[in-house]
Amino acid sequence: MATNSIKLLTGNSHPQLAKLVADRLGIELAKTMSLNYSNQETSVTIGESVRDEDVFILQSTLPGDINDGLMELLIMINACKTASARRITAVIPNFPYARQDKKDKSRAPISAKLIANMLQTAGCNHVITMDLHASQIQGFFNVPVDNLYAEPSTLRWIRENFRGGQGCVIVSPDAGGAKRATSIADRLDLPFALIHKERARPNEVSRMVLVGSVKDMTCILVDDMADTCGTLAKAASTLVSHGAKEVVAIVTHGILSGDAIEVIKKSELQTLVVTNTVPLGEKADKLGSKLRVMDISPTLAEAIRRTHNGESVSFLFTHAPTD
Amino acid sequence: MRNTLIFAGSSCPNLTSQICSNLGMTTAAVELSQFANGETSVKILTSVREKDVFVVQSGSPRINDSIMELLIMISACKGGSANKLTAVLPYFPYSRQSKKKSHRGAITARMLANLLHVAGINHVITVDLHASQMQGFFKCPVDNLHAEPLIARWIRHNVPTWREAVCVSKNAGGTKRVTSLADALKLNFGIVTTDRKRGGGNMTASMIMRRLDGFEQDAEVDADVTNLHIGREDTPLEDTPTEEKSKNPELNNSDTGPGERKPEQKPNGTTPPTPPRPTNARPDIQQSPIRNPHIVTALRSSHTSRSPLVRSQTSPATPAPLHDLHDDLEYTDERARDIIHGRLVQGHIVPDDYPSPTPSAMSNSVILDRPDEDPMEMSRASSFFNPEAHALGGTGDAAASSDEEEENFTNPGVEQMITLVGDVRNRTVFIVDDMIDKAGSWIAAAETVKKRGGAKKVYCIATHGLFGGDALDEMQQCDCIDTILVTNSFPISAEKVRNASKLVVLDLSNLLAEAIRRNHYGESISALFSHSSD
Repeated sequence: MATNSIKLLTGNSHPQLAKLVADRLGIELAKTMSLNYSNQETSVTIGESVRDEDVFILQSTLPGDINDGLMELLIMINACKTASARRITAVIPNFPYARQDKKDKSRAPISAKLIANMLQTAGCNHVITMDLHASQIQGFFNVPVDNLYAEPSTLRWIRENFRGGQGCVIVSPDAGGAKRATSIADRLDLPFALIHKERARPNEVSRMVLVGSVKDMTCILVDDMADTCGTLAKAASTLVSHGAKEVVAIVTHGILSGDAIEVIKKSELQTLVVTNTVPLGEKADKLGSKLRVMDISPTLAEAIRRTHNGESVSFLFTHAPTD
Repeated sequence: MRNTLIFAGSSCPNLTSQICSNLGMTTAAVELSQFANGETSVKILTSVREKDVFVVQSGSPRINDSIMELLIMISACKGGSANKLTAVLPYFPYSRQSKKKSHRGAITARMLANLLHVAGINHVITVDLHASQMQGFFKCPVDNLHAEPLIARWIRHNVPTWREAVCVSKNAGGTKRVTSLADALKLNFGIVTTDRKRGGGNMTASMIMRRLDGFEQDAEVDADVTNLHIGREDTPLEDTPTEEKSKNPELNNSDTGPGERKPEQKPNGTTPPTPPRPTNARPDIQQSPIRNPHIVTALRSSHTSRSPLVRSQTSPATPAPLHDLHDDLEYTDERARDIIHGRLVQGHIVPDDYPSPTPSAMSNSVILDRPDEDPMEMSRASSFFNPEAHALGGTGDAAASSDEEEENFTNPGVEQMITLVGDVRNRTVFIVDDMIDKAGSWIAAAETVKKRGGAKKVYCIATHGLFGGDALDEMQQCDCIDTILVTNSFPISAEKVRNASKLVVLDLSNLLAEAIRRNHYGESISALFSHSSD
């Protein structure tokens, strides 16, 4: 009699998060072996039977190693598919290539769509992700996509660390993130401000215009990802020059690539809060007290549990599971 | 060529510009870079609308990045309304993972084929796929070009003594490739095989196992099985070995009865008269019924002394006609002289009096585990119930077994028996495979043919020079290797080339350019498969 239980597999990109999720679910991570040939081709072996099991494969994006992580995920999915898994769910907390989601220039590739097609081709039946850069990416898939939000965790973090948000203002560092920021501001009943930036090239920020009042307030910058952190640093200095008391940033995906560490250290930001969707590694040590990490593994674990049991996931869009 | 654009991936700009200059074009403009977080960025800087687009991308040390770049370039061209998209992959990535090697192993090559489809590919041009069955992974046409004519031509022009040379396969799985080259050059061939599981035990038994595995890998098992019985019925095997022989492998090796030997006809007058000649078996499936019965029959009776590969000569380069079939069957114990054993410790040939690293390794008591069992059953068992838990631990697959060998070569505790079948004394030897990744098996094979077999010169020949790690350095430093011949299908860094005086790199750009040109104009490409006579 087949049991059809949860099999949680993980790639090499973020084993810590996988361990946290597995502990939360009270299961062991399935044994897998993934290694590279000498010419860097990835080879995967699934160490235990997945026949007729409900397979979840957790793979995040390791900055600088995204393509390797992606190939590893695809190969693992494919290995499970050929090993007769009943259902394969890719748990991708930080969806790679999410920013290449539209044909914004002539002949620009829609790489996010390509990734979606690749995942389905490999044999993925379901995707669980978190704070997609654009929710439209869900439409790139022909399989269900659960786009979880870090917002409930963010809300709780603000309530716990900023006296419920007294004297705070929620600031969106760009126009695109206004919706995310206003949603948080509404839920906390806080004022809201917006910084408009003129972006010349990706990862480079030019001029900043502040809309709204931040004088003598604690500014909470909210965004979905912190990559090179140029935007956040510029926004922080803009806010401080407009009389903000202190500036903190809460970001879902702390990619922190390039010179991000130096930029953050030099910036006016008092604290950068990220979730653990992306492995931070040594960066956490380098930033020291300036970096705080929110653990979102309970949300992921709960989403996995509910998906497996066929329960509704919508509860998680508004509530963060308690520890 | 009008309405044609050739894009270069970042892995092989040189090869692409050579292809383009052969065609009198320039490489189409594209900007390839990476975002700060490592995501690949592609900008196509020229209109591709209704164009015939070719994207050239090989492997590189960052192979997954190369693949993503290729996929994104294809996707971008597709989104830019290109008419036809052809991926030109001189080296097909992940081609070694073309079958389920272990429990729950992924067939990554098939997945990559699917990914290329998803990105929007209409046609694929590649060179010397690791397994030509991979063409079946694609729904679109695949042109699998061969570098063999180029290699054969280089040999004819650059090796003075090539008519006396012997082509040697360094593992059982790659034998087909070697016989193909041997046929093209009308040369003899031999095989080097490593006993990988039984320490210093009965190597002949394991040779047979590996031989079987090799056939299993070649996906011809069904054909073999159906032809087996027919073959047994109408081919009288005059020297079916006895049970005693199988139980006394030592005896077999010394049991060379010249009286049994039939006079052999010479296919060409260039070879010395005395040494028996390994056959030039052709890889065609049509011929397998002719060859395979011997093999399987030999296995069935636990025949040990001769490798099934070593049979008397057929006329080289021609499909064995019927009368040759009988010559084929003229097994003579003379053949046993061609089998030379060597001891391999830490990847190198050691003298016979070298102390054994493990006492059990020298025991000669191990014979076939289950001598009564049906050999076909056993071959299945050996591949499906593979006892090794290693990730790469394959069965009879050429790549897997060579990877495994590499492990053992570096393991100081393991002594292996390496066996050379075929006569190479005072001859030039071409050791041939489709790719050079790690050096271990090449060095071991080279040392075997030179130190044990007495070969004069050793050429290591492969289409794809991957040279993982320090492989090129190690091969350069090996005294037993005289020349390393590869093509430029896989880019080799200039730094590595500078230090490798033995390395010869053949240019594939003419072949690829011609394939592109013929594809664009809708001409046949079969001429590219044939050997030139000059």
